[in-house]
Amino acid sequence: MSENDLSIAIDIGGTFTDLVSWSRRSGRLSYAKSLTTYDSLSNGVFDCLRFAGVNLSEAAWFLHGSTIAINTVIQRKGSRTGLITTRGFRDIYTIARGDRQEAYNLLFSKAEPLAPRDLTMEVDERMNARGEVTRPLDLESARIAVRALVEKGVEAIAVVLLHAYRNPAHEQAVKAVLEVEAPGVYVSLSHEILREFREYERTSTTVLNAYVGPIVANYVRELENRLKTSGFAGNFLVMQSNGGVMSASVAREKPVTMMESGPVAGVIGAGRLGVALGIPDVISFDMGGTTAKASLIEKGEARVVSGYHIGGQGQGHPMMLPVVDIVEVGAGGGSIAWIDAAGGLKVGPLSAGSAPGPVCYGAGGVEPTITDANLVLGRLDPDHFLGGQMKLDLPAARGAIEVRIARPLGLSIEEAALGIVKIADTKMSLAVREVSVAKGHDPRGFALVASGGAGPLHALSIARELSLPRVIVPELPGAFSAFGMLMTDVRHDYVRTLICDLASSDPALLASCFDDMAAEAAATLKRDGVNRDNAILSRALDLRYLGQEYTLTVPLVGAVSLDSLAKARQSFDDKHLAQYSHAAYQEPVEVVNLRLVAVGEIEGRVKSFASVRDLRHIATGNPKGARSVIFEQGAMQCPVFDRDNLVVGATVMGPAIIEERVSTTVIHPGDCLTLLPMGPLLIEVAE
Amino acid sequence: MVNPITLEVVRNALVAHADEMATVLCRTAYNMMIFEVRDYCVGIVDPDGNIVAQNTGGLPIFLADLGAAVKGAIDIHGRDGFEPGDVLISNDPRLCGQHLNNVVVFTPFFHEGELIAFPALRAHWVDVGGGSRGFGSTQSRELFDEGLQICAVKAYRAGKPNEDLLRLIRDNIRFPESSFGDLRAQIAGCRLGERRLGELWKRYGAITMRACIHAIWDQSEKLARAAVRAIPDGVYEASSYMDHDFLALDETLPIQVRVIVAGDEMTVDFSRLPAQRKGPINSGESGAIAAARVAFKCVTQPNGVVNEGEMRPLKVIIPSGTMLSAVAPAPLTFWSASLPTVIDTILKALADVLPDRIPAAHKGDMSGIAMYGRDERRKRPFICLNIFGGGFGAKPDGDGVSGVVSVCQGGVHNAPVEVQEAYYPLTIEAHRLRIDSGGAGLYRGGLGAEIVVAGEQEFFMDTHLQRTKLAPWGLHGGGDAMPMDAVMERLDGTTVSAVALDKQPVLPGERVIVRAGGGGGYGDPFERPVERVQRDVIEGSVSVRTARELYGVAIDAALFTIDEAATRQLRARK
Repeated sequence: MSENDLSIAIDIGGTFTDLVSWSRRSGRLSYAKSLTTYDSLSNGVFDCLRFAGVNLSEAAWFLHGSTIAINTVIQRKGSRTGLITTRGFRDIYTIARGDRQEAYNLLFSKAEPLAPRDLTMEVDERMNARGEVTRPLDLESARIAVRALVEKGVEAIAVVLLHAYRNPAHEQAVKAVLEVEAPGVYVSLSHEILREFREYERTSTTVLNAYVGPIVANYVRELENRLKTSGFAGNFLVMQSNGGVMSASVAREKPVTMMESGPVAGVIGAGRLGVALGIPDVISFDMGGTTAKASLIEKGEARVVSGYHIGGQGQGHPMMLPVVDIVEVGAGGGSIAWIDAAGGLKVGPLSAGSAPGPVCYGAGGVEPTITDANLVLGRLDPDHFLGGQMKLDLPAARGAIEVRIARPLGLSIEEAALGIVKIADTKMSLAVREVSVAKGHDPRGFALVASGGAGPLHALSIARELSLPRVIVPELPGAFSAFGMLMTDVRHDYVRTLICDLASSDPALLASCFDDMAAEAAATLKRDGVNRDNAILSRALDLRYLGQEYTLTVPLVGAVSLDSLAKARQSFDDKHLAQYSHAAYQEPVEVVNLRLVAVGEIEGRVKSFASVRDLRHIATGNPKGARSVIFEQGAMQCPVFDRDNLVVGATVMGPAIIEERVSTTVIHPGDCLTLLPMGPLLIEVAE
Repeated sequence: MVNPITLEVVRNALVAHADEMATVLCRTAYNMMIFEVRDYCVGIVDPDGNIVAQNTGGLPIFLADLGAAVKGAIDIHGRDGFEPGDVLISNDPRLCGQHLNNVVVFTPFFHEGELIAFPALRAHWVDVGGGSRGFGSTQSRELFDEGLQICAVKAYRAGKPNEDLLRLIRDNIRFPESSFGDLRAQIAGCRLGERRLGELWKRYGAITMRACIHAIWDQSEKLARAAVRAIPDGVYEASSYMDHDFLALDETLPIQVRVIVAGDEMTVDFSRLPAQRKGPINSGESGAIAAARVAFKCVTQPNGVVNEGEMRPLKVIIPSGTMLSAVAPAPLTFWSASLPTVIDTILKALADVLPDRIPAAHKGDMSGIAMYGRDERRKRPFICLNIFGGGFGAKPDGDGVSGVVSVCQGGVHNAPVEVQEAYYPLTIEAHRLRIDSGGAGLYRGGLGAEIVVAGEQEFFMDTHLQRTKLAPWGLHGGGDAMPMDAVMERLDGTTVSAVALDKQPVLPGERVIVRAGGGGGYGDPFERPVERVQRDVIEGSVSVRTARELYGVAIDAALFTIDEAATRQLRARK
C-alpha cells in the first residue's frame, strides 16, 4: 500500500470544474470550484487544484471525469476520420436506420456523419453471420483503401466489416495493413469497440471512438504529464459512462466510453450513499442549469443499459456501449417559462443557460426562468446565492414574470411563479416516473437523492408528487459528480453476440465464449492497477422469447451448466412479467448476447461515510433568520438554517429553508428533516 | 375555466401514459412490423370516438383515427355493454378502413362506475389468415382473400378469456405464436393504460379531467386555425398518378386533389379520385382522411403532439366508392400504397403559396419487401420484412435527406443487414445509395437506397412497389428524381421486372435488386454553387456526367477539379 493516502476527483462540467478530495487517513474532505476553461481544459483542472490547496505528491489516486469527448462530438471538432467497410456497404453509415423522428416535419435533417462519404472506402471481403469466410479478404483492396485515406489526410480510421463481431479475422488483417501503410493514424476496429451485431450502430460507435480518439488521447496524455511534473506519482483513472473508472491508458484506446462520465458519477454516488445509510433503493435526481436527470438504483446498483443516442434519441449518433440509464428532461434553473399561441403556460425546453442566464442574474436575460420563479417565491435568498457571491435582482424577476406570464394569464405574480415551479416539478416528476413506475418499480419503496445546484430546491415537491417517502440531500450537492467519482470502482463491460436457442444451447460453447471475455478482462484490469483478488467478474445473458426483438439481461449465476441456464430462463420469465406485466412460460427462449462485467475495487475509494467529515464541531441548531416563503398552501414565515449549523440527530419541521454555499433545500410544511451522523440531510415527506 | 397549471400537468401526463403503453408493446412484440417497422399506434379514446391522447412516434398515417374502432364497438355493444376486464378486438375495415392486418385491441376504463375511455393499441399482425402474409398479396381480389374479419368481438369478458374465440383465431393464422404474442403485448398495454388512467382520474376527479381534455382540444384547435389563417385563401389544385392498382398493370390511376383555404378552415377535396379498383390498392374512407390529416399537420403544427382538436379546422370531401373510400368487399391489402403520393400531391397544390414550407416530392412509396419460406437449417418457417429508404425532396433551404422512409412512416426503421442474415437464410449483397437518383436543383434531392437480396437457399419474395413510372417531381425549377425500380436476375442470365412479385421463388444464385426513388430538386440547378456540385461529385452523390448535363459544371473525372472556362460556357447556355 502506498504511503500517500489522498484521493482526488475532478469533474469538468459545462460551467464549473469541481474538485473533491478525500484523505483516507484523516477522513477529511476538501472541496473547490473553478470556472471551466474551454480553451485548455487542463488549466481549469490546475486552477481547481490550486484553490483546494491539495498537494499532488500526497495523492495516490486521481479520478477524472470530463466533457471533452462529448463536446468534441457536439461541437464537431473531432479528427478528420476515414471509414473502411465491406464492399457493397459504403453507405450503411449515411443511410443509418432510415427513420425520421420528427414525423411531420418535412424540413428535417439527419445528423451529419462524422466520417463523410468521400472518406469511406470499401474492401473486398465477406463473412456470413456464422463467422464463416464467404469471400476472403483481398489485401490489395485494403492497401488501396488505406492509401487513398492517407492521401486525403485522415487523422483517424474506423474499420467496420460485416459480422466482425462474430469473426474479427478480417478486421485484424486490415489492422496489419494499417500498421504498415498508415503509421501514426489513430485506428479503431469495430470488434475491439463493440462486439455486437447491427452494423449501423456498431459503425456509429466505432466512428465516434475514432473521431474523438486523437483529441482525447492527447488531452489525457497532456494531463497525465502535467500531473507527473507537478509531483503526482499515483494512479490516474478516468470515469466512464458505465459507472466505473478505467486507467488513462485504456481511456486513450476507448475514449468513446467517456461520453457521459460526469452525470454518471453522481448516480453511482447516490447508490453508495444509499447503501451506507441502509437505504439501498434510491432514485438519483440531479438538477442543474439546463436539464434535470433521473436514474434508478436498486439494491445499490445503478441500471446500466446498452447505449443511447448522442445529440437526441433517434436523431443523434448512436453510442451502443453500456451506459448508466439516465432520463434527462429539459428543466433546469435556466429553463424559460413562456405562453404559446393558444394561451398555454409552458416551461422549457429552451434555457437561458448560464449566459445571459435568468432575469435575476442581471446579465441581460429578459425571459423569466425557473430560478426567477423560485426567487419570487422566496425559496431563494437574493443575498445568499452562491454563498452571497452573486446578488440576485428580485424586482427584475418579478417584473419579467408579471409582464410575460401573470398578466396574459390573469394571475397574480405569485400565482404565476407558483405555476412555473409546479409545471417544472411535473415535468421532472415524469422523468423520475419514467425510470421508476414506468419500469415496474413502486416509488413508495425508494428515497430520492437530490443533487445539483437546483435539485434540493425541488426535491420535496417531486417526492410528494410520486409518493416517495424520503428525500436525501448529500453533502456537497453542488459537486456531487466529483464526490461520486470517489466512490466508483474500476469497471469494464464485455459483450459477444451469439444467437442460439437457450434450451438446446451448448454449455461448452457458451463457457468458452465467457472465458474469452474473462481473459480480456483480466488483461485490462491489470493495466488499471487492480489486484486480481479485488476483482469480481459477473456473467449475464441477453434473452428473449423466440420472435421478439428486444432482450432483457438476466444474470447467469455460477458456472455455465444446464442447471444455471435453466435458472436464467426462470429469471427471464420473472423479469418479463415484472417489467411488462406478461410472460410466456411455455415458449422457447433465445440467447442473443453474452455479457461479462468486470468490477475491481480501487484502494482509494471512499468506503465509509462515517469518515467523510467531522460533525462534532460546535453547532447550535438555531436558525440564522427567517423569511416569508410561498408554498401551495400560501405564504408562510420560514426559519432559515445554515446547513453547517444543524445539529446531528435533531429534527426540523417544515416549512424551513436550509442554505449552504451552492444549494438551498426547501422543506415544505409538514416535512421533517434530520441531519444524519454521516452528514446528509434526511427528510421524511409529509403525505 | 380550467386552472392552467393543472391543465399542463394533465396534458403531459396523458401523452406520457400513451407513450408508456407504446413502450410495452414495442419491447415485447413478436414481429418486425412492430419492433422494427413501428407499424402501431396507441391512444386513449373517449366513448364518442374522440382521441384524448396519442403516443408520440409510431406511424404518421395513424393520425387520430383510432376512434372509429371504439365507435363501432359502442354501436354493437351499446354504451352499457362493457364491464371492467373486457378486452375487445377489431380489424373490421368497415370501421377502420385499413387492411385486416391492423388489429386494434382496446379495453374499457371505468371511474366510479362510469365508462370514461378506452386505452387502445393498434398493431400490424404478421398474419391474419387468408391468402397473404407479411405486407399482403398483389393477388387479392376481395376482402375475403385477405383474412379473418373481426368486428369488435370480446376476447375477454370481465377478465375471463373467451377460449373458443381465441382458438378459432389461432387455428386460422399462419404464425399464431407471433400474433398471440402481439395480442398479449397489446392486452398488457391496455391494462397498463387502465391503471394509469385510474391514477389520474382518482387524483383530479372526473369533472376536472373532462374540463382539461376539452381545453386541450380547444387549444390545439386554436393553434391549427391560426396556422391555416396564415395561408392565403384560395383554391389550389394538383395532380399526379399511381402506376397501377396491382392488377391492371398497364393502367395508371390519376390522382387529382383540390385544396380550398378559406379563412381558418382548410378543405381537401378528393371527389375526383378514381372509382374503387378491382386490384388491392383501395382503402376505406380512413385512408383518405389519413392522407388529408398528415398533409394538414405537416403544414400547420408539425412539431405538436397529436390530438383530436387540431383536426377540427380540416374538412375532407370524399364521396363513397372511390379508391380511398372503397366499400366492401373491395380488396384493401395495400390500403396505404397510394398515401405517400396522395399526400405529396396535396403538398404540391400548396407549394406555390407556401414556398418556404414545402419541399420537392419524395420517393412516394412505402417500400416494403417480404422474404419468407422454410428455413432449412433451423427447420422452421420464417418471414423477414424490410422497409428501405429513399430520397426526401430538397428543401427551401437545403438538400433533401437520403435513404429515409416515406412521409407516411416517420419512426419506421430499416432492417439491419446483420440482423437479417443472423435470423434468416438470406444474404444481403449490398445496401447502398444510388448515384444521381436525387433531382438536380439549387438544392439537390436526397438519394434513394438500393438493396440486393439473395438467399443461402431457395425462398419466396413479395414486392409491391409504386411510383416506378412517375418520377418524384422537383419544385421551382428543380429537376425530377429517379423513380422506384426493382429487377430480378435469374439463373438463366435474364433480368425481369420485380416491382410486383407475389410468392416469387428466388433460387440460390438468383438475386432481387430493389431501388428506391430519390427526392426532387428545389430551385434552378444552374444556381447551385460550383463547389457544392464538386463536393457532390467527390462524395459520389452526382456523376461527372450529370454535373455537366444538369448542373452545367465541368469536372475532371480523375482529379475532380473544376474546368472554370467550360463551366462558364455551360452555364451561359441557359
